[in-house]
Amino acid sequence: MRTLLVWMAGSLGLALGVPLAMANGWNMPVGVTDVSREIHSLHMTIFWICVIIGVVVFGVMFYSLFRFRRSKGAKSAHFHENTTVEVIWTAVPLLILVGMAVPATATLKKMYDASDAELDVMIIGQQWRWRYEYLGEDVAFTSNLGTPRDQIRGAEARGEHYLLEVDEPLVLPINRKVRFLMTSDDVIHSWWVPELAVKQDTIPGFVNENWVRINEPGIYRGQCAELCGMDHGFMPVVVHAMEEEDFDAWLAERKEAAEQEAMGVDREWELAELMERGEGVYGSICASCHQAEGQGSPPAFPALAGNQRLIDDLEWHLDTVINGVSGTAMPAFRSTLNPVEIAAVVTWTRNAWGNDTGEAVQPADVAERLAQ
Amino acid sequence: MWSVVKSVLAAFFGVQREERRREDFEKGRPGAFILVGIVMALLLVGVVALVAIQAAR
Repeated sequence: MRTLLVWMAGSLGLALGVPLAMANGWNMPVGVTDVSREIHSLHMTIFWICVIIGVVVFGVMFYSLFRFRRSKGAKSAHFHENTTVEVIWTAVPLLILVGMAVPATATLKKMYDASDAELDVMIIGQQWRWRYEYLGEDVAFTSNLGTPRDQIRGAEARGEHYLLEVDEPLVLPINRKVRFLMTSDDVIHSWWVPELAVKQDTIPGFVNENWVRINEPGIYRGQCAELCGMDHGFMPVVVHAMEEEDFDAWLAERKEAAEQEAMGVDREWELAELMERGEGVYGSICASCHQAEGQGSPPAFPALAGNQRLIDDLEWHLDTVINGVSGTAMPAFRSTLNPVEIAAVVTWTRNAWGNDTGEAVQPADVAERLAQ
Repeated sequence: MWSVVKSVLAAFFGVQREERRREDFEKGRPGAFILVGIVMALLLVGVVALVAIQAAR
């Protein structure tokens, strides 16, 4: 009988535990931070404890069912209580739970300690994109889905990182503690990157904290993990972790570009320049609702091409983009886009797809409006 | 009194011998169990809080 028990226990463990634990892509990733490694090792420890408990409990059960089956003349025992056994089966789980809680609590304490960060990044969830602001560095941008619409519609073959690619990834340095301050502009989103072991809700009106110290450079992908509306599946997270000196160079470059952009607000822009810029902004920000050809998808998302009110009323058009329309899906872009981008995208929509107004909206005028 | 404390401890743990349970129901006064129960619940909360404060250091 002992051989039977060993055989059953062994095969159960092999059948359930090993493939699940080892199969690549099924298990949670080990990740690239100290915290993610700790979480993974906790996960595996607790997993194996559960496997052992499962094998023992089901082993005893199946053995009993087999050994004491009715056809062999087994008779059931009738007794009310056995204090010793009851004490054991209460105390053993208690010890197991405390044994798991102690290392888990130690890891949790580390996860919550966002103090002494060398870099602060504000992460803002928006329907349906992520906005990143490097606090104190004057660098901020939105990160939009990079997968071409044709792939989503099925008109084109899916790429390798289908729905897990963005136009501009969050760039972070390795070996530095980075604190995330996480909030949302509209509904609850959740910023999730498995390799970094960060999955944090972003909630309007609240600022949640989290942090990472990445050990290895690389590109780490994740998704919004809280159902947030129509394009919930179309707002992936991509983190590009760089060597420290590469990151510093990148940040300096971005700061300079931001300064250039700020200077660009004051000068006069040509129509063609604005159109070029505006087409890009439209493609990454507006096209997900109003569609690539401006045809919209009424009634939720009105058409912009041939929209008479838009063509006639520049004031209303600007106000709609800057302040949004309450009660509809149209968000306010006053903090998401800068004056140049707003001027460019308004110019683009006023001149594309047969909306030939010929009007160029100047960034300086938009900046004046934003300041009011 | 000691037997009341032991019965309350057994209740906290969740395991009690049948003879002792019968005894408690025949001889014990409800007021004593309630009082000891409340005091020991407060003690338990205090102990858990102490452990939590130590762990948070």
